[in-house]
Amino acid sequence: MSPELRHKAEALGLDRLSDEHLSQLERATRMMGAQLKRLPRDLPPTQEPSLIFRAKGGHK
Amino acid sequence: MSGLAYLGVAEAAQLIRAKKLSPLEYAKALLGRIERLDAHYNTFIMTTAEIALDAAREAEAEIARGHWRGPFHGIPFALKDIIDVGGLPTTGHSKILADHTAATDALVSSRLKAAGGVFLGKLATHEFAIGGPSFDLPWPPARNPWNRDYFPGGSSSGSGAGLAAGFFPATLGTDTGGSIRNPASQCGITGMKPTYGRVSRRGVFPLAFSLDHVGPMTRSVRDNALMLQVIAGHDPADPASADEPVPDFCDDLDRGVKGVKIGVIRHFYAKDMEAHPEQLAAIEGAVSLLAAHGAEIREIHLPPLQDFSACGQIILAAEAYAVHEQWLKQRPQDYGARARERLLAGSSLTAADYLQAVRWRLKLRDAAATAFEKIDVAITASSLDPACRIDDDEALLATYSRQARMPWNVTGQPALVIPAGFAGSGLPLSLQIVGHPFGEAAVYRVGATYEDAAGWTKSRPPGLDD
Repeated sequence: MSPELRHKAEALGLDRLSDEHLSQLERATRMMGAQLKRLPRDLPPTQEPSLIFRAKGGHK
Repeated sequence: MSGLAYLGVAEAAQLIRAKKLSPLEYAKALLGRIERLDAHYNTFIMTTAEIALDAAREAEAEIARGHWRGPFHGIPFALKDIIDVGGLPTTGHSKILADHTAATDALVSSRLKAAGGVFLGKLATHEFAIGGPSFDLPWPPARNPWNRDYFPGGSSSGSGAGLAAGFFPATLGTDTGGSIRNPASQCGITGMKPTYGRVSRRGVFPLAFSLDHVGPMTRSVRDNALMLQVIAGHDPADPASADEPVPDFCDDLDRGVKGVKIGVIRHFYAKDMEAHPEQLAAIEGAVSLLAAHGAEIREIHLPPLQDFSACGQIILAAEAYAVHEQWLKQRPQDYGARARERLLAGSSLTAADYLQAVRWRLKLRDAAATAFEKIDVAITASSLDPACRIDDDEALLATYSRQARMPWNVTGQPALVIPAGFAGSGLPLSLQIVGHPFGEAAVYRVGATYEDAAGWTKSRPPGLDD
């Protein structure tokens, strides 16, 4: 297992991963990378996310 | 009384109401069948015979006194083991939660009990509804009753397999990227992912908050509509729950499809990805049959299937990682290999990745809404292939992407999967019907028409007669 991958995992707080787990992390990251290639990075600045926050509590 | 294994909810309800079927005898018959046969299919993590028999006795006594609560009174059901039942374990089919006991019922569990349902037990799932099938967990994976060497779909694997095996007439699944509809496709049963917000998620272990749905799984469309009627409705304690009126989902089941405008999303299964020829032929056959019954068919176009898949997978990975981060850091060895790998995918995402995906999601939702403007429902594929062998790792990996289910988790629209015939191998084929938000009744109407005309739901897995 490459030291770079282990360092990357440790930086994420994943310092208990075995070599087998690190191989899984590597495969998972590669597969997610393929999905990320389709992600548009040029959405208009005003394009809102599908997350809505609402303040809670009574009116004063 | 014989012939109880494949009795549907609607038919059983009529018999129970007329006092021609004893809820106690019904429950005993199914518990006996489960005890006799489930070692072949691994659908149950635990059965709750005493709870079931107590509930069945109570139902029988109440009905004898003249108080029939409705079509679910005395009906046996089981739950995927990420759905809480107070006082019982909710394990998520995982060593991580092996010692966890739910304090209270999920809202859906309490609604089914209040309707008089008879709870039979907790069902196998892919670990935390994401990783499976797995042979390295405390319980074995469920098997497909049409051929136990084959994958039953997932993650609601025990739910789909148990229905096909005749162990219960109704169950719930959860669906974050297709987990109700995949086992429905592979096991030849009926599964509805309702509109996002239609059914409360309270007391259901989350996979990805903004994509999670709870929905009914049954063997017929009518039974599905009856079960959704019980569990649908606003829950102020679920932040995503929608305060929308709940119609009678059975009202339109017998209206046929004359004049109904059906859009066919052919590019999902014929261009963006190519479905297996038998699956493709099954969908085209269904479209022709509905046209022959008077539906108005037109082709509609959405963004590419892969865009919906990518958007959904990024959101799913990020939200699921947030749920599991501490366990992945502290006890990664306690996950099965498949769940661990899929959950670790979220660790590599940045905040910007996630936010771009949830911004993209609204554009995809809007594109779908535009495409649906002039139609009542749409038809497309669910799985692009019949089930693969449960031990074929390469084919199993492909099943995650070779499907057209994720678009409706991204848009939140209701989507029903029903049987659409059989491949030459004898394994089920399927069809997906998609509606407008909160348009489940129209989806059921089209599903019921096809079901009645095609007759596939009368088929039984070989060797599993009543």
